[in-house]
Amino acid sequence: MAGINISNIQHFSVGDGDGIRTTVFMKGCNLRCPWCHNPENLTAAPVTLHYKATGRSETLGRSVGLDELLSELLEDRDFYSSSGGGVTFSGGEAMLYAKELLPLVRALRDEGVSVLIDTAGCVPYSQFEKLNPFVSGYLFDLKTADPKKYREIGGDLELVCENLRRLREEGIRLCIRIPLIPDFNCDGESVEAICRALSDIGIDTVELLPFHRLGSAKYEAMGLDYAYKKREPLTREELIAIEGRYKKFFKTKIEK
Amino acid sequence: MSLTKELKKEMSALPKGVFCPEHFFAKGYFSSAHSTPYERKADGIVSLFCDPEPFIYKNDLIVGSIYPLILPISDEERQSTRAKVSAVFTGRKFHTNFDHYSPDYETVLSIGIDGLLERISDSEKDHSDDADALAFLNSARMTLTALQKRILAHCDLARALSSAEGYDKERLSFIEKNCRALLNGAPKSFAEALQLVWFIHTCFLFERRYAMALGRMDQYLYPFYKKDLEDGRLTKDGAVELLENLYVKICESRFFKGDDDVVNICIGGVDSDGACAVNELSYLIVTAVKNVNMPGPNLSARITPDTPDSFLDACLISIGTGLGYPALMNDSVNMAALRRFGYDEKDIRNYSMVGCIENFITGMQPPWSDGRFDTPRYLEYLLFDGEGYDESRKGIRTAPLSEITSMELFMENLEEQISFGVESYVQDFNEKNIILDPENYSSPFLSCFCKDCIGRGRDINMGGSRYPSVHGAALMGVGTMSDSLAAIEKVVFNDKEATLEELAAALKANFEGYEPLREKLLAAPKYGNNDQFVDKYAVWFTSFLSGQFDRYRTYDGGGFYTAMAANTSNIDAGKKIGATPDGRLAKAPLSDAASPTYGRDTKGMTSALLSLSKPDYTRCACGTVVNQKYSPSMFTDGKREKLLQLIKVYFSKGGQELQINATSSDILRDAMKHPENYGSLVVRVSGFSALYVTLDRDVQEDILRRTQYE
Repeated sequence: MAGINISNIQHFSVGDGDGIRTTVFMKGCNLRCPWCHNPENLTAAPVTLHYKATGRSETLGRSVGLDELLSELLEDRDFYSSSGGGVTFSGGEAMLYAKELLPLVRALRDEGVSVLIDTAGCVPYSQFEKLNPFVSGYLFDLKTADPKKYREIGGDLELVCENLRRLREEGIRLCIRIPLIPDFNCDGESVEAICRALSDIGIDTVELLPFHRLGSAKYEAMGLDYAYKKREPLTREELIAIEGRYKKFFKTKIEK
Repeated sequence: MSLTKELKKEMSALPKGVFCPEHFFAKGYFSSAHSTPYERKADGIVSLFCDPEPFIYKNDLIVGSIYPLILPISDEERQSTRAKVSAVFTGRKFHTNFDHYSPDYETVLSIGIDGLLERISDSEKDHSDDADALAFLNSARMTLTALQKRILAHCDLARALSSAEGYDKERLSFIEKNCRALLNGAPKSFAEALQLVWFIHTCFLFERRYAMALGRMDQYLYPFYKKDLEDGRLTKDGAVELLENLYVKICESRFFKGDDDVVNICIGGVDSDGACAVNELSYLIVTAVKNVNMPGPNLSARITPDTPDSFLDACLISIGTGLGYPALMNDSVNMAALRRFGYDEKDIRNYSMVGCIENFITGMQPPWSDGRFDTPRYLEYLLFDGEGYDESRKGIRTAPLSEITSMELFMENLEEQISFGVESYVQDFNEKNIILDPENYSSPFLSCFCKDCIGRGRDINMGGSRYPSVHGAALMGVGTMSDSLAAIEKVVFNDKEATLEELAAALKANFEGYEPLREKLLAAPKYGNNDQFVDKYAVWFTSFLSGQFDRYRTYDGGGFYTAMAANTSNIDAGKKIGATPDGRLAKAPLSDAASPTYGRDTKGMTSALLSLSKPDYTRCACGTVVNQKYSPSMFTDGKREKLLQLIKVYFSKGGQELQINATSSDILRDAMKHPENYGSLVVRVSGFSALYVTLDRDVQEDILRRTQYE
């Protein structure tokens, strides 16, 4: 099996799907969301981070053989099975690597390990078709329902919605996740548009992920400006208001 | 405001002073007309129990307080009083089998103080020609009678206070009734049972004993609770209120003595048939400890494969409040470890913990003793020709480094060093252990709460207890040692990046001028990442060291248990150890308890636990401590379930213990800057809870270093 580019493997992930999971962060992304908290995964190539405060450096990005990756992912299998967890591929955009991931996802499925893919879904449906038979579902991010705003971050709303629709038709399990980004998708109109778009597709449950700026140190360490560096997290009141709007349409969970 | 809060307030408002039980003990002891050491001692105890005024808080439901022993004297006066009786009173050291004990409360609850007195009389008949036994038995009787007098004094005070300002008549008559009942046979209600236990416990405190466990409260109190509930005399809330009232008083030590007592309370586990013992009271105890929210009641939960998830979840909710209790103990491992020492299976099933985590055969063996074995020292002796970094310390000389040409040879020499170390440790302990003359330091009162002492007519430390004394050696530095050995194997023997002599020179120089070598050592696999290359050394560490201690016996034939738990001794021990081959700098702390070195278990919680589950903890009969810190969000609904499964898997793989903190690093950092805002922030430090702001800077830093998992 050939290698794939990853930046990190995070054991005991509790925020990316059911149960105890191991999340593999893939490198490379086709979107450019200015709030992104994983800037190290924008490109497929390794990046070096220099932390000024500690003087420490680290290079993120390595090619891992699938056998090696598989065996590390299987280390936690008892935790997966007792908690209903498994493996999540995230990124970056994991779906850019559907072909490369296929043998691994298949092997995990054969070992009885559940696999989830965290994706923004801006890839041709053929990518999904490769993995659909072997995954337990997708953690599907919807950033906005405004086609223009989607173009601004490099995506294609129509493609996203089409993919969502087809996945639903296929009966694939979807967990729709909406990042709550101040000044981007939190105003009443944006929320309303998202709700309508998702309802049209027949979605009934959403998970809201409030913006945080924990990634800002990484931008600095990469010598990049972070547009959201000074952006305060949403207040409790703001979150409650936004959650309330979603609740009119969906069963809504908000990340704490 | 709840009664609990009122009581805390009332307690903290009392004038402070100096805790001086010696003042009372001395009076009886020096005026004793008795001739045997036992009885002279008992005379001291009688005045210790009877002379201090009785004391009742306005918010008391259960009475018994150390406050009457807080005297308005200077520290010098206390010292001189103490010196006068030091030859016979207390002797609190970890090698004197003095405290850290889990009393047999079950017996006294079933037969009452009268019942114990009857047993003393029976035993006197059996020992009519044994003067020594008769003197001991008489001394035991004298202390029990003194306890009765103390109880009676509280009856009288409760009555006398009934018209006093600020006191509640109804509560006083409740107190009086409960106390009175204890003077007349066995307790019959939940409140009476609690009251009896608390009086006895208070008397232990009078004797200056510390870390006296309350044992399996959910078991020995359950029959009383159940009956009261059935008879409609008690509600669940009422039971919680009573428990809280008692638990708050554990915190008297903090208010009046300025230190925390570590009073272990054990819940859960199995019953005498081996079936799951969790009952309604187990849950209520968690609630009460949670509500009291103070360090002191050191709650331990024995978790078995049959423990209901709902109980483990209740424990996690309590931990998640930031309290850190209960500590979670894997019952299967602890019981398997105790089995190695040949106890009766029923006695093993009834084990409880004393102090922080130490496993104890409840009410059947002399009080605990323990010591610290700082293993990395022996690595120094190997590398530096028998010399320690701390020049006052010397080991034996093993093979010169030039002759150690393989990892196998290295381990052989290390084992020789450690074997010598264990022998010296045991010799040293055994010498100290019998240095105090047990006759002068007899414990007639304590012996009444230890099975077989009365029947045998022997003091608890003179062969009275059913089982002999055991000693717990806390093995320090499993992380430091494992990482060091893996680094030597990789860098010296596999990659041949340096010779042992070069390594020794680098350590001596604290890596100054050897930075590239240090980088290579730091890059070697580290314990806590589920990497067999290094984990095998943790497995070796546990089994080899325990095997060494298995070879020895205490003075009365008991075993040497091992533990991997050292509170914060790893910090002090580290100060005397030079740089180590794992890349640790001189004087830095050793790894904590059974945990990997802080910050090196980078792969994640599951990997850390997989590593941690590899050593055979059934060799550690004393217990181990693994400290983990999680952000409070881990305890929210949904995520908490994942934590629960994590723990269950860890335990199913043979992990022994988990102590969990729910505190974010940000909070801890802020608390260091603004201690005034964090007066009630509780953290667990390897085995007990403490107020964070009262800890030394070193310890605060240490807690911060613990990897935080999200």
